Amino acid sequence: MALIQNTKCECGHQNPVGTVLCEACGKPLDEELAASDSVLEMRYDGMARRSQKPHPNLIDRIWNFFSSVRVAVWLILITLVAAALGTIFPQESAFVNLTDPAAYYRENYGTAGAIYHALGLSRTFESWWFITLLVMIGASLVICSLDRVLPLYRALTRQQVRKHLQFITRQQVVYVGPIQGDAEAWTARFAEILRRKRYKVRTDGNALLAEKNRFSRWGPYVIHIGLIVFLLAVLMRGVIPGWYMDEYVGLDDGEIEQIPRTGYFVKSLGFRIDFYSDDELPEHLKGQLRVKQFTTKAVLYECVAYCDDATREPELKEVAAHDIRVNSPLSYRGLRLYQYDFAEAPRLISVRPTLVDKRTGQSYGPFELPMRHPPLTYSVGPFTLELRDSFPEFGLDENGEPVTLSREPNAPAFVFVIKGPGLPEEGVPYLYFPREADRQRFGQDRINGAAAEMFDIRVMSMEDVEFSTYTSYLNVRVDRGMPYVWTGAAITMIGLVMGIYWNHRRIWLRIDDGVLSLGAHTNKNRFGLRAEVAAALAKAGIEVDAKMLDNRRKES
Amino acid sequence: MRRHKSVQYLILAVMLLIGGYAVGRSFASSGDVLRPGDKPPSFRLADLQGEAHTLEEYAGNPLILNFWGTFCPPCREEMPALQQQYEAWKDKGLQVVGINLSEDRHRVENFIRRIGVSFPILLDTNRRTERAFGLREYPTTYFIDANGVIRQIVSGPLTIEEIDERVKSLLGSA
Amino acid sequence: MTDWLQISSNAVIVAFFLYCFSFIAYAVAVGGSRFANREPEAHRKRWGGIGLWLAAAGWAAHLVYFFARWAGAGHPPVSNLYEFLMALGIAMMLAFFVIRFAYRHPLLGAFALPLTIIIVAYASVFPSEVQPLVPALNSIWLRLHVTTAVLGEAFFAVGFTAALILILRVTDFSRTDKAGRRARFWAEFTLVVIVIVIGFLVAVFGFRAAGYHAEFRQETVTVDARGNVIEQESTVEYGLPPIFKPYNSETVSMDPFLGMTEPLFETPSWMNGVNAGRKWNTVVWSVIVGLLLYGLLRLIIRKPLARAIQPALDGIDPDDLDEISYRAIAIGFPLFTLGALVFAMIWAQIAWSRFWGWDPKEVWALITWLFYSAYLHLRLSRGWHGIRSAWLAVIGFLIVMFTLIGVNLLIAGLHSYAGVS
Repeated sequence: MALIQNTKCECGHQNPVGTVLCEACGKPLDEELAASDSVLEMRYDGMARRSQKPHPNLIDRIWNFFSSVRVAVWLILITLVAAALGTIFPQESAFVNLTDPAAYYRENYGTAGAIYHALGLSRTFESWWFITLLVMIGASLVICSLDRVLPLYRALTRQQVRKHLQFITRQQVVYVGPIQGDAEAWTARFAEILRRKRYKVRTDGNALLAEKNRFSRWGPYVIHIGLIVFLLAVLMRGVIPGWYMDEYVGLDDGEIEQIPRTGYFVKSLGFRIDFYSDDELPEHLKGQLRVKQFTTKAVLYECVAYCDDATREPELKEVAAHDIRVNSPLSYRGLRLYQYDFAEAPRLISVRPTLVDKRTGQSYGPFELPMRHPPLTYSVGPFTLELRDSFPEFGLDENGEPVTLSREPNAPAFVFVIKGPGLPEEGVPYLYFPREADRQRFGQDRINGAAAEMFDIRVMSMEDVEFSTYTSYLNVRVDRGMPYVWTGAAITMIGLVMGIYWNHRRIWLRIDDGVLSLGAHTNKNRFGLRAEVAAALAKAGIEVDAKMLDNRRKES
Repeated sequence: MRRHKSVQYLILAVMLLIGGYAVGRSFASSGDVLRPGDKPPSFRLADLQGEAHTLEEYAGNPLILNFWGTFCPPCREEMPALQQQYEAWKDKGLQVVGINLSEDRHRVENFIRRIGVSFPILLDTNRRTERAFGLREYPTTYFIDANGVIRQIVSGPLTIEEIDERVKSLLGSA
Repeated sequence: MTDWLQISSNAVIVAFFLYCFSFIAYAVAVGGSRFANREPEAHRKRWGGIGLWLAAAGWAAHLVYFFARWAGAGHPPVSNLYEFLMALGIAMMLAFFVIRFAYRHPLLGAFALPLTIIIVAYASVFPSEVQPLVPALNSIWLRLHVTTAVLGEAFFAVGFTAALILILRVTDFSRTDKAGRRARFWAEFTLVVIVIVIGFLVAVFGFRAAGYHAEFRQETVTVDARGNVIEQESTVEYGLPPIFKPYNSETVSMDPFLGMTEPLFETPSWMNGVNAGRKWNTVVWSVIVGLLLYGLLRLIIRKPLARAIQPALDGIDPDDLDEISYRAIAIGFPLFTLGALVFAMIWAQIAWSRFWGWDPKEVWALITWLFYSAYLHLRLSRGWHGIRSAWLAVIGFLIVMFTLIGVNLLIAGLHSYAGVS
């Protein structure tokens, strides 16, 4: 049995069910409300915000859930607490190479750490429940806004000038008092005063409606739109292929590497660290080494042929070059290479040794020997050197057999077979260590035996050695979603500024039999509104203290 | 507000789709680490003779894919075991392919010759394939069934017996 | 050649004393109005005016600090915790002037000045030497980020101040029911926390002036990301007598204090990090000195501090305080959003190639933002005006302080570039 609510106002206007204040004249429709004296609740100007249905179905219930501000506040608070929990211990995503997360947390943080990991809190921000919270906030943003912006728009665009006396005398800011002279003339004069205060004024004989800064009411909805765009942009980054990439590339000087999952290659022409000079340093730091800037001179190539064919060398074309620094990445068609880090890792890049024939005392060469991907034959004077084996990091296994300990040229060794005049057909094997320290450590001459009496392969000067002191780490990123992210942020900021730094003020007045009734409303900064109304009244010849205009005093 | 039912439904449906997708992704996004039940990413690599081979060539029969390098002692140690198992099971259809971790060809050839490996060895370049597989440790061996689905992933050296039981289960389920 | 840095440090001292005098003038304006023989309104106006002029003079000196240091260092001084807190002090005074321009009651000054003084004193705890910039910090976006965020936080601080006054104003000390006692407890508790902060400052500066020093050698064992166990030996220096020495450490040297020649206790092992022992010791000392100060004040005044202050607050309408608090927070919110989130994202994108990385400091800035947006949403409902809003503003400011200081000191990450305590 539905209750029949009286929705037709005494002014003649038919209101929808659920209306609090008549849409036309503003009179409170509810009997109790009309009888009391309290300040009127002006949300949506008293319009019906939602049609109250007697039996909301599931869809309605879900809609109402997301439309509620209380729910939104709860969602915000829960997200806040969850985020705080995610900062107690470092998150897994902070590590580049965490091999056993459970062990790491247990060993470094004890039981608390083990629990933290087990609950999934070490991956808080990627977890399904955190994402769900963000999705729910997104839903709330959309539905809250839709549910409110339309009634607000209707309320504000269809305002009537002449309002019911109760509406006026129950606003937050009220003045009631006698005036002399012609009502219409007074109203017109007051309208002028308000217009000079930048109000838009509509008059109706002896009634007036003045309004300013209506646009600020749309502020919160602009904010919500901005946040929705922001969240969607963040989501899109993960969805649309080619929109997001985050890779790391480590390069020694002169090294070229392919950027994973792309057809691009990057080469480092050199890495450089600049330190602050002594005059740039304050007194107490002089003499110390402080890093001012580190730079990688980089060249970007694009593969134009044989790109996915691992059987052939890809053909590359240079497309961009830049000195990459911490705040200055190399940028090419949405691909960005940032200077991420560096490590001190002295490594040989290549050497140019000379072959000395000890029997004749003649030297031949020098010949170019790169540490990575060395060619298989070298022609040095009358001799030919065939590369039989190479060890980037020479070592001996438990059986005393030569092995390599890693793929990095940290202690390179090369096994040549020297062929040529005066040598047996099968050639003379010769083990060569470019680094003097390795040569001594492993006893190169002892291993080579008789060959060491015949030949010496040696680098003659430091100029024949090319080495890299540092490995430079670049972070390669593609982020095509970024323009949308920034757009969302900008829209949010505009909404914030619109909504907070301006406030929407309205003044209604009517003169009945020589009595002026004035009521004013604002969504924020009532203090300022009272001051403005008092000033306007003063200009019209009515002296009143701003504090006296405050209608709340009656009920405190 | 006179609610337009269809608009409401539409909005809720869109939110459900987007939301569901976002949450669903968070389950899947534990990186590109392969797990049993996945299919391995495709590759096209050269063998020691310079011929190109792709992953698809090996479909239809069970496959052991072993990532190894001469710089990795357990890789070296398990190679004879892999060779022995290859000889034992190849007539039953087992394929064994070793993918070398981007070392120079001459190094790989020397080692293969010394051990006496007869199953195909492919050469990865620029660590591309090991990255595509999300490798963290060496050696890593993938036991793949005849339908191309990974059944087991083992990081670390394997003994003959360990390979044997896994081959049996691979062949059993063929 | 002008020694800008010397001028800068002198200016800080001048500013500090001017702020103190301003506070005294405000205190006279507010407290003395009950004893003034003539109209309290005129008394308040006069002394409030003197307080305002002194505050403005102090602010001018504070600005001298800022620009002189800029000239001396070659970059705007916002790159370590000391400089940052000093900038916060400048911004807080600016926010105070802005709000005071709208609402002319000296009460705000009586509470805002001590807050600024505490911030300036707290800044001075941290090392103030000019450091050359790490490459990542060398960008205009950093400066925009810090200055705008600091301005937003300053308005939150003024909102906190007004909220605190409101709480002290409306807490009903005559109520004996459960809710009433709870209200009185929490009001007094807030004041106790403030006294403990002052206790921290007294302890640190007191022992620093006495030149106290103690040194320990500590062994720490950590496990890195690859599972390697790393053992490290490090030296820890204390500026306060060691009630708690670092975990697993031996004393290298220790000045005696009140007959104490050995550390009393050892910091528990679950407190992580090389400096955990020193920080814990400092916290314990702050609480001890703070409680002693509080006890002393209670002995002298013979009633709870909140009740003692309340009569002085009679001259202001609680509704106005509520509005001041809300407005300050509302003004600060867009500034905070722009500075702490938007500019921070832009800078992070340029420097670290990702605009958001869930780094603890970033997360706590987000937490602060979420909290204040919850505050603004709750204000839509009239039931949340008044004392409830005030408590939210207090909690919000605590979160701001944690984001600024707690994250640096307690949580590691890209952002910890603080210094020593």
